[in-house]
Amino acid sequence: MQCKDFEALLEQDGLDPLPLAARSHLTECSACRNLFADLSVIVSSAREFPAEVDPPERLWVSLRAQMAAEGLIKQSAPASTEKAAWWQALPSLFRPRVLASAGGALALAFAAFLAVHKKPVNVTNTNPPTPAVARVQTPAQPAAVQQPRSRAAIAPAPAPQMVAKRRSTPATSATPNFKPAPSADVYGGTLAGMQDPQNLAGTSVEADASLRENLRIINEVIAECQKHLKKHPNDALAREYLASAYQQKAQLVAAILDSGRSEQ
Amino acid sequence: MIPYLEINDRTVLSAVGTAILFCAAASAVAAPPDHKEQHFAVKGRPTVVLQNIVDGRIEVKSSKNPEVVVISTSSPEKVAIDLEQAGDRIDISATGLVNSTQPHEVEANFILTVPEETELQLKTQTGLIYVEQVNGDMQLESVAGDVNLKEVSGYIIVKTTGGSLKCTQCTGKLDFASIGGGAQVLQSSLMRINLMTATGNLLYDGEFVRTGIYSMKSTKGSVEVRFSPTDSLDVDARSLTGAVDNQATEFLRPDVHGSHHSRNRGNSFFGTVGQGLAKVELSSYSGTIRILKRP
Repeated sequence: MQCKDFEALLEQDGLDPLPLAARSHLTECSACRNLFADLSVIVSSAREFPAEVDPPERLWVSLRAQMAAEGLIKQSAPASTEKAAWWQALPSLFRPRVLASAGGALALAFAAFLAVHKKPVNVTNTNPPTPAVARVQTPAQPAAVQQPRSRAAIAPAPAPQMVAKRRSTPATSATPNFKPAPSADVYGGTLAGMQDPQNLAGTSVEADASLRENLRIINEVIAECQKHLKKHPNDALAREYLASAYQQKAQLVAAILDSGRSEQ
Repeated sequence: MIPYLEINDRTVLSAVGTAILFCAAASAVAAPPDHKEQHFAVKGRPTVVLQNIVDGRIEVKSSKNPEVVVISTSSPEKVAIDLEQAGDRIDISATGLVNSTQPHEVEANFILTVPEETELQLKTQTGLIYVEQVNGDMQLESVAGDVNLKEVSGYIIVKTTGGSLKCTQCTGKLDFASIGGGAQVLQSSLMRINLMTATGNLLYDGEFVRTGIYSMKSTKGSVEVRFSPTDSLDVDARSLTGAVDNQATEFLRPDVHGSHHSRNRGNSFFGTVGQGLAKVELSSYSGTIRILKRP
């Protein structure tokens, strides 16, 4: 038997019990003897480990509290007695006079909203190829500062502001409205970004549901692998899938935190 | 008096309801999406980075012109779109200004036209990412949206949470990682693929490049490869509790390299087509693995 045959045998059949040819090879080959001894120690040590140890519940509680304190996740507030009092007062809001007033106010508010909401579309800009850095910002303006519809119809709406700047110009960073380049946080998200309430706005309901659903799926996979490993602790393929599922869960949780969502 | 009061209440309620409905409908009609178009001239091989943290579709096509054209359509008053050019790099980001309570309420859709040789980094929450006829490395990320690639080449990295990938006539290298999404690679000639998903189904029906490495791994979904009798590949299939369904036994010989002959037992299979030059590794936890000959 050659060394490569011995290694192949170990890979296929494990350590016990070695066939006669392998045992005789062990007596002749010190390298394989060392390999066999190392593997025996590793296997025996591994058997002493508990199959899977879940972290204690207090760790999660503490972690969640810490993250909530830092503003990374939101914790749902318990129902308070004030809320009950508010609900008790609700029927009084449905009196005819109150309803009529509210309806009128609502209709006026909508009319005002419609009046200021309309704005021209199809804005087209072409920038010259010369500037090294061109920056275009098209933030939506607050409704309160926008033109009424009648004026907007007469005067053309201002095109999105387009400023060409040299990257080396220090004035860029001194501008009060300066924001980092959009690409700065594309594939990672920083702690500051997660704490920014602006980043919390506009998160997708559909994406949120998908993240939660897939978190549930991956938890099921982990549970299934753990269950299998309790019965077959030496199953390398199951261990591989468990490790992979943990990796996926870590990435998923990171994505949830990155986008300002909460796991629950 | 009582009947009069009841009629009065109903009248008020009806008027209020009608007013609200009318205003809601009118506001929906009166708020067309913001539509903008920007042109960025580029000199060499540009890099386009688009981060859409709201819902929306991203479509990328190529042209012969040395410019990047960005057409965006977004929910009015609800999305801020920033664009920046730094040399040949174009950065685009769409940020929500309000909290979304309904699907597609806060949305930004993009159509990009780029030079054929362009590198892409695109990210969205939901909505399709579609890229056609672009050569260059690309990293595409989506939470719930699908990714559809046609005639692209380069080192392609696709990450989704629940979205699926369809890659047609692709060349180069492909990495796909998902939890709930599957992947279909069709009519492609990739020299390395690494497809990994938890519950999605995986399919490779393309050319096996000699010396190529093809790894497909699904925890619960099915894994399927289709090969041609003229291909040259080693197939190593392993499933923990799922079945290995080899429907091309007449074309797959036992291992010719001599070290895997004892593996063909239970849910494992090893076979060789031709000289076994490409390496194909198929793995599943409980999903079925299918090996088929292309008709």
